[in-house]
Amino acid sequence: MIEKIDLWFEERMGWRPIWKALALRNIPKVTWAYTLGSATLLVMVNQILTGILLTIYYVPSPQDAYNSVSFITNEITAGWLIRGLHHWGASAMVILAGLHMIRVVVHGAYKFPREVTWFTGLGLLAVTMAFGFTGYLLPWDQKAYWATTVGTRMLEVVPVIGPWLLRFARGGEELSAVTLTRFYGMHIWVLPALLMLLIGIHMFLVVRIGISAPPKASETEEEGPELEVEA
Amino acid sequence: MSTPRPDQENPEIIGGQRVLGVVPGKPPGGDRKVLDEQEPVMVWPHLLVRHGVAALVVIGIVLVLAIFFDAPLREIANPTLTPNPEKAPWYFAALQELLSMFHPLVAGVLVPGAIILGLAALPYMDRSTRIEPRFRKVAVATFTIFMVVWIILTIIGFAFRGPNWGWVWPWQEWYGEL
Ligand code: HEM
Repeated sequence: MIEKIDLWFEERMGWRPIWKALALRNIPKVTWAYTLGSATLLVMVNQILTGILLTIYYVPSPQDAYNSVSFITNEITAGWLIRGLHHWGASAMVILAGLHMIRVVVHGAYKFPREVTWFTGLGLLAVTMAFGFTGYLLPWDQKAYWATTVGTRMLEVVPVIGPWLLRFARGGEELSAVTLTRFYGMHIWVLPALLMLLIGIHMFLVVRIGISAPPKASETEEEGPELEVEA
Repeated sequence: MSTPRPDQENPEIIGGQRVLGVVPGKPPGGDRKVLDEQEPVMVWPHLLVRHGVAALVVIGIVLVLAIFFDAPLREIANPTLTPNPEKAPWYFAALQELLSMFHPLVAGVLVPGAIILGLAALPYMDRSTRIEPRFRKVAVATFTIFMVVWIILTIIGFAFRGPNWGWVWPWQEWYGEL
């Protein structure tokens, strides 16, 4: 059955070379720590799917934002679940991206030739945090409003451009309907576009360069005793 | 401790199974292959199966959280009523904690800037050609100290801070925001 489907598509789009290039290649024997990146990727997919569903009912204006989120949580079938998945997924994504970065540092996987993977990874971490920051305002409840007030207030202390940054983020001196639409636009258009771009480069490089081998746990011949002493 | 070889103990029992006879030849699956640590393996199935298992675990955890704990929703925003404390979500708690300790220019601009620059420059500061942590002690130790400090600040800012950013015990009063 599966072979038949595979053949049907193979004859029409020639997809076997793609599968071969992605999956039928040699890599070093890796550990469970190497699944942290793909786990982050999976939670990202969860965020995209549940996020898209949330936009169907969410309305980005102060009065409606709160009411629509309340409606999603209390009235819509499984709305509470979709929102819960998006809410907890956000925290999971921050944690997993952080753990993934720790594994990369411990393994020294940022070294040549993987610097660009590392830089795009840092960009991804920044984008993930920015998702959290902009998304937090959207329910427009007390904690959303005041967390964003504190968060944007920090921008003001940046030398020279601080006051401008503050007005740029808030769309005025105070938090308002403009802030909400701005954050919404960032959260559902700008940041996802950036995320896709960075993920695209990140994943291309992971496949193109190949994953790094885990460091050896114990001494081996080639390390030599003199290096041991120095360390 | 070395396990006694089965043939010394009891010639008939090997690995808990009774040996009915020993014949020369190959096992049906061919010779068993012991994977050497350095020997390459295929992405499929070795890596992708693990990714699948990890994916199930992670999505399972998120699903359980979503089922048992509703995402919070407070009263509608009220610009005239400032809550005390004003708390950001937990992943910004370390930053908020820093802000309570230093001038905002230091806590909000210099420290985060230094962290970003430091991380970006990591491949250029740790220039050894080895990847084993024991040959990169400065890099690994610095990063570890940074992570530990950051996690402690996060925990304090998240769970141990209450009104006016004063100290509270989380088991007595809870102010953390997720
Ligand atoms: C949205 C967040 C991210 C996603 C979805 C993601 C995804 C992935 C995936 C699937 C891999 C394959 C290997 C593995 O899983 O370990 C990988 C590798 C890598 N990632 Fe990420 N990543 C993210 C963030 C980061 C961050 C924050 C960093 C570091 C600052 C980073 C640096 C790297 C590097 C250097 C590699 C190559 C590792 C090697 O060859 O051993 N990534 N990433």
